[in-house]
Amino acid sequence: MEYQQSPKFFVRGPSAFARLIMFATLSLLLIASDARFSYLTEVRQSAVSLLSPFQWLANRPVVLYNDLSDFFTSQANLRAEVKRLNSQALVNGAALQELKTLQAENEHLRSLFDASKTTIRPTKMAEIMHLGLDPFTHKVIVNIGADKEIQAGQAVVDANGVLGQVTRVYPHTSEVTLLTDHDLSIPVQVERSGLRAIAFGGGREYGVNLPYLPANVDIQVGDRLVTSGIDGVYPQGLGVAKVTSVKVSSGSPFATIVALPIAGVQNFRQVLLLDLDHKTAVNEEVAKAREEEQSNKVSKNQKTNQSVKKNAGH
Amino acid sequence: MPVIKRRMIYASLLAALVLQLFPWSGWGLYLRPDFVLLALLFWMLRAPQHCNIGLAWIAGLAIDLSSGSLFGQNALAYAITAFLAVVYQRRLILFTDLQQTSYVFLLLLVNQLALFVLKLFSGAENPGYYFFLSCLSSVLFWHFVIIRFFSPRARH
Repeated sequence: MEYQQSPKFFVRGPSAFARLIMFATLSLLLIASDARFSYLTEVRQSAVSLLSPFQWLANRPVVLYNDLSDFFTSQANLRAEVKRLNSQALVNGAALQELKTLQAENEHLRSLFDASKTTIRPTKMAEIMHLGLDPFTHKVIVNIGADKEIQAGQAVVDANGVLGQVTRVYPHTSEVTLLTDHDLSIPVQVERSGLRAIAFGGGREYGVNLPYLPANVDIQVGDRLVTSGIDGVYPQGLGVAKVTSVKVSSGSPFATIVALPIAGVQNFRQVLLLDLDHKTAVNEEVAKAREEEQSNKVSKNQKTNQSVKKNAGH
Repeated sequence: MPVIKRRMIYASLLAALVLQLFPWSGWGLYLRPDFVLLALLFWMLRAPQHCNIGLAWIAGLAIDLSSGSLFGQNALAYAITAFLAVVYQRRLILFTDLQQTSYVFLLLLVNQLALFVLKLFSGAENPGYYFFLSCLSSVLFWHFVIIRFFSPRARH
């Protein structure tokens, strides 16, 4: 008996299941290559620039609303704001004068100790365009990117403290991962005691976590955490978070410490992007240490060679 | 029955994408209906010869790009959902509105669940059950906006 396939009544191409298998395989390949390797950075950048007109269009209503509310701000509001800003400027000016004398004094002391100088890094101002569209991540998009020479890894701060770090750079925008994102960690120091630790993003509920600290650690509720500056990404002394709870359970050798970030995405639209500083004090020290290590190795090798020769001579 | 042009499908998908890209934040982000998926489902029921798993996959890639998530996560979730829609398409168009809505709700749940699993596997933070709120808002949008104003039965 000969098997004969009847012609299909509707022409629908390959079956739905075949299509599903094909596209599922494709997307699994994409997921794996995106997660493990960074082959797709250029593809992503060009595709994002294709999408950017739609993003622009989608942002229009909000921009228009902001412009309109700016336009219709009453004079009384403006005057109040000017007054507030003036008094703020006065306070800041006084603090700044103090800072200048302190800086001079600090530099003098550092030169006495023969320590490397700390430099103030150049910054770029950016505006938050929108918060990330993925509820799984804590990211914001700012309005400058590769066109303004932004690089991945730059620290992002606002008037109160550290906000996060630039993680992806697109042609005209860049993506900032916030401190609360659970993929981000930041080296911190307790301002009161000078204790160093690493803070990890804890998500929506927990803010920032300080794991792996012993139960008898000297941290209290209300302590301010500042950047320790030992990573070379964040300059020293920027505010990071305020400790909100310290819990010690008898079952665990570690304390559970939760802190809330000081900088707020909701409060400001303008942020500062600190330029990457490749010649930070730490990097220089690391480089120096490496050089010394290498010269030590070389001298050791020479010594062993000499001793070998001596032995051969005998 | 009016002829469905490809141009119309693409235009509606792009419009849905713009709605999706609107700067939602906070609760708005959780309650945002999945406009692109709803547009895809609408066309999959009406014109499966034009709008199929491939188009759903490409739309998913566009969502991945715009949201900055791993390449292919939304694409895979959309492809699975589209498969379940296309397989039962001929039965679905004979359903009553309420039956259709409930099936669409199931599809939306499948989509969110697939996305949830994929994101957790790739090491993302667990956003909690709020994540499934978007199914509810999506199905409400489907029933009260899409069926009410765009369905071919609504014209009569």
